[in-house]
Parts: sequence; C-alpha cells; structure tokens
Amino acid sequence: MRPLDENETTVVFEKLFKFIGNNLKNLVENPSHEGPDPESGRYCFRLQKNRVYYVSESLVKRATNIARKNLVSLGTCIGKYTHAGSFHLTIMSLNLLAANAKHKVWLKPTSEMSFLYGNHVLKGGLGRITDSIVPGDGVVVFSMTDVPLGFGIAAKSTQDCRKLDPNNIVVLHQADIGEYLRDEDEL
Amino acid sequence: MGKSRRKQKTIPPPQLPPDVPEEDIEFSDEDLKFVEENTDYARFVTRIDTGAINRQCSLKPKTVEDKYQEERSKKKAQQEGKGNNEIQVDPVDVLPVKTLDGKLHYRTVLKTSKLADGDTEELEKDAFEDENTLNKSQRRAKAKKSKKEAKKQEKEFPEEIVQEEETPQAAVLAEVKEELSAEETFENKKNKLAELGMQLLSDPEANIKSLKEMLEISKDENTKIVKLGLLSVLAVFKDIIPGYRIRLPTEKELEMKVSKEVKKTRFYESTLLKAYKAYLQKLVVLEKQSVYNQVATRCLCTLLDAVPHFNYRDNLLISVVRNISSPDEVVRRLCCSTIRSLFSNEGKHGGELTVQAVRLIADQVKSQNCQLHPNSIEVFMSIRFDEDIGKRDREDENKKYRKNNKRNKQEEQNQVQENERKKSKREMMSKIRDEVAADYKGVTYEPDAMERRKMQIETLSAVFETYFRILRNTMYSIGESTEADTATNPGAFGSHPLLAPCLDGLAKFTQQLDLDYIGDLMNYLKKLASSSSVSNNSKQKNSKLLTVSERLRCCLVAFKVMRSNLNALNVDLQDFFVQLYNLLLEYRPGRDSGEVLAESLKIMLCDDRHQDMQKTAAFVKRLATFALCFGCAESMSALVTVKNLLQRNVKCRNLLENDAGGGSVSGSIAVSDKYLLMI
Repeated sequence: MRPLDENETTVVFEKLFKFIGNNLKNLVENPSHEGPDPESGRYCFRLQKNRVYYVSESLVKRATNIARKNLVSLGTCIGKYTHAGSFHLTIMSLNLLAANAKHKVWLKPTSEMSFLYGNHVLKGGLGRITDSIVPGDGVVVFSMTDVPLGFGIAAKSTQDCRKLDPNNIVVLHQADIGEYLRDEDEL
Repeated sequence: MGKSRRKQKTIPPPQLPPDVPEEDIEFSDEDLKFVEENTDYARFVTRIDTGAINRQCSLKPKTVEDKYQEERSKKKAQQEGKGNNEIQVDPVDVLPVKTLDGKLHYRTVLKTSKLADGDTEELEKDAFEDENTLNKSQRRAKAKKSKKEAKKQEKEFPEEIVQEEETPQAAVLAEVKEELSAEETFENKKNKLAELGMQLLSDPEANIKSLKEMLEISKDENTKIVKLGLLSVLAVFKDIIPGYRIRLPTEKELEMKVSKEVKKTRFYESTLLKAYKAYLQKLVVLEKQSVYNQVATRCLCTLLDAVPHFNYRDNLLISVVRNISSPDEVVRRLCCSTIRSLFSNEGKHGGELTVQAVRLIADQVKSQNCQLHPNSIEVFMSIRFDEDIGKRDREDENKKYRKNNKRNKQEEQNQVQENERKKSKREMMSKIRDEVAADYKGVTYEPDAMERRKMQIETLSAVFETYFRILRNTMYSIGESTEADTATNPGAFGSHPLLAPCLDGLAKFTQQLDLDYIGDLMNYLKKLASSSSVSNNSKQKNSKLLTVSERLRCCLVAFKVMRSNLNALNVDLQDFFVQLYNLLLEYRPGRDSGEVLAESLKIMLCDDRHQDMQKTAAFVKRLATFALCFGCAESMSALVTVKNLLQRNVKCRNLLENDAGGGSVSGSIAVSDKYLLMI
C-alpha cells in the first residue's frame, strides 16, 4: 500500500470531478469518526495492487501493520488501473458518487431492469433529468424512488434531449449494481 | 282678393293675385267717394298690421306631414315636460316676464339651457357610452322642442318676429346677434348640431354636406361646444360608416362615363372619406392638448372599436397604442380595453390589426426601455392563438414530400396505361375545381388558413420578443446595480413594472414556445430567482433588485413551463426548490394577499409527483413553523400543503412522533436542511 503520487492523484481527481464537480472538497475534507481517537481524522486515497481505495486515516494507520501480500482490501475501493495504465471507476464507488452527484438521471420503473443488465439508457426510459447537462459529463443513474442504480456518461445535453426520438441513447452505461451478480469474480 | 287665415288649416289657400306696386293702383271715382262717406267704418284700415299679413301670406301651406310632426313634437314635449318636472327649476323662471316695451317674454330658453348645462356637467363625469346616448336623446328632444316652439306658440310673438325678420333683412342680423346672450348662442349651436345629426342619420346620402357643417361647428372656441361637437360627429360616424373599405376611384375610372347612381355613390363616398379624414386629423391634434385629452381619446377608441375595417385604421391604431401607458388612468383604461376587444374580436378586422398592434406595443416597450405601466403588457393575455401553429408546418412539409414522391412514382407507372381522353377529362375537372375555389376565396372576407397562420406566427414572435426583452432588461438592471453602489432612480412605475405581467404571459403561452428557447428561458428564470437582496452597503436600499414576490413568481413560472412541456422532457428543478425554501424565510406576511405564495406552494409541492423524503420532511418542518407567524391566508395555504405532503409521503408521518428529541427522523431533517442549503 502506498499513497498516490502526483500524476495518479490528478487522474483520479479528474475522473471524480466529472461526476461530483465542486463537491470534491466534501469528499476530501469529510471528517471521519472511525477509530478510537477523540479527534476526527480525514479520508485519503491509497493504492494497493492497482486498485485505489478511499480510506480514513485512522484505518490506514492500523493497516500498515499488515504485510503487503496479505492485505486484500481496505476501506472502499473506488476504481482500478488497467494494464494500459488508464484509471476506471468501478461500481463500488457508487455510494460516494451518489451522495455528491451534480448530474442525476431518474429512470422509469419499466426501464430499470434494462439498465441493470448493462444496456444504455434510452430517452423513452427517462423519468427525470437535471438541467444543464453537457455531453461528456458524468451522470449518476437513480430509480424513481431515489435508489442509486449506477452511473454513466451523458451522450446529449439536456436541451438536445428534449427533441430526441424515444429510442435514442441519452446516457452511456459505465457501471451498475447488477455487476455485483454478473462480474462477481472480477470485483 | 282671397287671403287665407291661419285657422283654415285643411284647405290650401288659393293662389294670390300678382303683386302690383302701390303707385300703379288706380282708384276709381266711385271708390273714393264711398270711402269719404264712410270714414268711420274705414278706420280699421289704419290698424291693420301689414307685417303680420305679409308674414302669413308667405308661409308655406300646411301639409299633412307638418301637422303630424307638430303633434308628435307636442307629445314628446309633454313627456319631456313630465320628466323635466323632476329636475329642479327655479320657480322664478317659470313665470313670464314683461319687458319694458310691454311685450311678454317667456323664459323657456333659460330653462332648457340650464337643464342642458346641468346635464353636460354630469355627463362629462359619467361613463363613456352613456354620454353618447344621453346626448343623442337630449339633442333629439331639444330639436323637437325648438321646432315646436318655432311653429306653434303665438305668445312668443316678439321672438318670432325677430327671427322672421332676419331672413329678409340681413342688416338686422348683426344687431340681433349682439342682443342674444352667450347662453342663447350656446343653445343655438347645440340645436344646430342636433338638427344636423338627425338629418344625417335619417338620410345620409342626401345630407352628407351637413357633415362638413358639423365639423365647422366643432371648430368653435367654447370648449364645451367643441367637446359636444366631437362626440356628436362620433355618434354620426359610428352609424354612417359602411361595412366595407372605401376605395377612391382612380383617374381612369373618373374619366369613364357612369350612371347617375354610381356618380351619386361616388360623391357620397368621397365626401364621407374627406370628412372622416379631417375629423381624425382634428382628433389627433386635439388629443395633445390636455383639455381635450380624454374626449379625444374616447372618440379615437370608440372609432377603432366600432369600425376597425375602415380606412385610416392604421393611424387610429398608432394613436391609441401611444396612449396605452399614459399616466392618466381614464385614458389608459380606455385604450387598454379597446385593444383587448380588438384582440378578442378578430373577425371584425381579419387579424391584421392584431399583428400591427402587437408590433407597435413591442416597439414602444423597446423605445421606453421597459418603463411602462403593467396594463400595457397585460393586454397580451387576451390574445388567442390556434393550438397547432408550429405543428402544422412540419406536417405540411412531410405531407408535401410524401405526396410528391408518390405522385411521381404513380405517374411514371400509369403513364403507359392511361387513355388520352381520361387524362384531359381529369385535367378539366381539376381546372374547374380550382376556378371555383378561387372565386369562393375572392368573395369571402376571411383570410384563408395559410394567411391566418402566418399572421399568428408573426404575432407570436412579436409577443415573445417583448417578453424576452423585458426579462433581459431585468437581468441587466440587476447585474448593473450590484456593481455600482449609487441607486439610480426608478421610473415612474417602479423598477421592474413589466416583470409580473411578463411572467404571467409566459406561463400562459409556453405551449407555443419552441423547444430551443425553453432551456434559455429556464436559465434566465433560475438567475432571476436566485438574485438576492443582500447588498454590501446595508444603508442604501437598492430598489433595483427583485422583491420576494417577484422571485416567487419566477419559481412559479418555471414550474408551469416545465409542466406544460412534460412530453418533451421532465427536468428536475432542484434549484427552484432551494429558492422556495429560502424565500419562505424571507417572506414577510402582509405583502400581497398571499395569492402568489399559495399558488407557488400548490404548484411546486402539492402537485409534484416525485417524492423525495428528505426534501419533503424539510419543507413540512419549515411550513409548520411559519404557519405560526404568517397571516391568515398564508398560514392556511401552508397548513393545507403540509397536510397534502403528509398524506402522500408515508415516511414523513414519522415526523409527527412525540418523542423528545425528535424521535427517529430528527437526524434526517438536519441532513435535509444542509442538503437544501447546499447550493
């Protein structure tokens, strides 16, 4: 386990910024009440075996006692580095993203299952959408009852969405909670 | 020598012998002798009133019509007399007066003039149409009265003699005029107006020249006469003007030989048009003077309302629209109601005036930099649009494309098979059909569907241009004021007078708005709603920023826009909820009667289909707290909203737990508070 260096930090923060925008500072300065210390520590990012974890500092201190090859995971894994060297956010970062998301999309009940199988979001399946979405923005997908279902990248702006056919793609799928069942081995 | 006396009414008098001058008359000797013998009996000759005899001989024979008219006027005068008894008249004036010459003088002249004066003063304060009708009937009564007086009463001898001597002797005319007092001239002029008006109404074609005389009378110095003259000419025009637009004949047509009828009609039409033009010009000039402002505006508005199809309606419209924002309330109300009726009665003028009026108003807003009275924009709410303006365009295009393709294909296929005769027959049929359609179109006055749609599209674009200009102006004025600390003086109507009716109009017409602009509109509304009134310098009250009710209205309009465009997209309006949440804090009870707050609560919270527990809980808590300190109406609406929210959101009922410390939901409320104030 080691802390992220400059490049890695910038890459991770860029990805996160697409989804949560200026709330990034909330993420970093969140006080954590874990551990026996009376003062609240902070959260930080650590890299272990090509995976990036979001951990509280008190936990990190205790995790240093475990040998590198024995340490499987700590805190919340938010993403991993591929062989090629690019960083991808995984489904396990959903809780963090959903709490601080800037751009949200709500799905109609009929199209929830389709998204959970890994398909993209069509305009006919859109229940609601936040304003001021630009193509290429990170979007968190919710159900109508405000349960986060996953996240993706916006294909069209909100303005263009108004004029689309019901069968056009609005959000490109990146991760959904169905992956817990489908890709159990890879997570 | 048969001389007829007045008492023989039915028998017309026999023809008089030709007049022989006195010198030529020869008296026979026998006659002279007879007279000298009987001088006593001849004394009556010296007492004969030659003047009276002359007058009676020159009178026209009384026909049946005259008699009938006299009886009618008598009856009417009697009825008027009964009515007049209710009006207070000084008892001194009822009795006849003996002048120094020993002649009896009945004071009826003064009585009617007093009555007329009292009436005109009342009428000028009364409502608009009443004045016209009252004036008419009053004038009619006066006309009848004057006729009756002139013809019947024998006791009015001195006056009658005076009047009769006028006509043959023009030299005495000037003296007589000086003798008549100012009131009597007033009276005379009114009578004259009434007479001319009656003549015109009874037979306009023959008496069209009297119109010019009426106009002459209204050029008098006395303001009352001018006002009465204008109003009576207005009444006449309202009745006379035909239902079509007069087109003056061109030079070619003038050269052609035409029948007498056509010549008569042409003369009538051209005189009417000239008089109308002169009248309008006079109105426009007089409108600028403050004395005649109201009367002139009233005439202009009535004319525009009654005959919007006639010539010169553009000038009428320009002057009416110019007054749509005047500081004088009566004038403004008149103009606004006229324009509203123009918008609702499009059948009268075929829709063209709507476009023009809207464009003129838009120009005025632009030139005055949005400092007008709100009434001037509220008239837009009376405009009605067809529902399918935009859709038809696209459908038509699609249809045309498809039709053309189909036709081309079909023609290619069928060309080989078709008979020549069949083709020509079909072509003839279509030609005939086209001719019939063209004829029909030429006859009907209604603009056909295409034209109507074009006009409506123009109107719509002008209306939206105005609204967006107002919005942008508001934005700029807010933006500037935050930079500069000096408070610029707001206009006479307040800093953002046009914002409220603009927002209302937007809410009404959002269906017609193209989807491209909705995004922009929402952005603007968001910015407007979030402009806060916190300024750095707390001493200076910056009146340019939006008040709470204006911001509430912005939120309201945003929701209405979204609701009406649901089929396009359901956009989340989280920002506006945050605004509402903050505005509830700033709301001071007792501003307007709470309608804006009630409506915004209803539309934003009660009708909302998305149920977010945290947000709902936060609103429930805040509304319940404020129901304690709002005024009556606002707290009722707040409580109704709370009830609605609790009924729909099952989880929120946990808020009603009585545990100390808030029970199970207190934590979530703290979170939701933070969540709503986050932005």
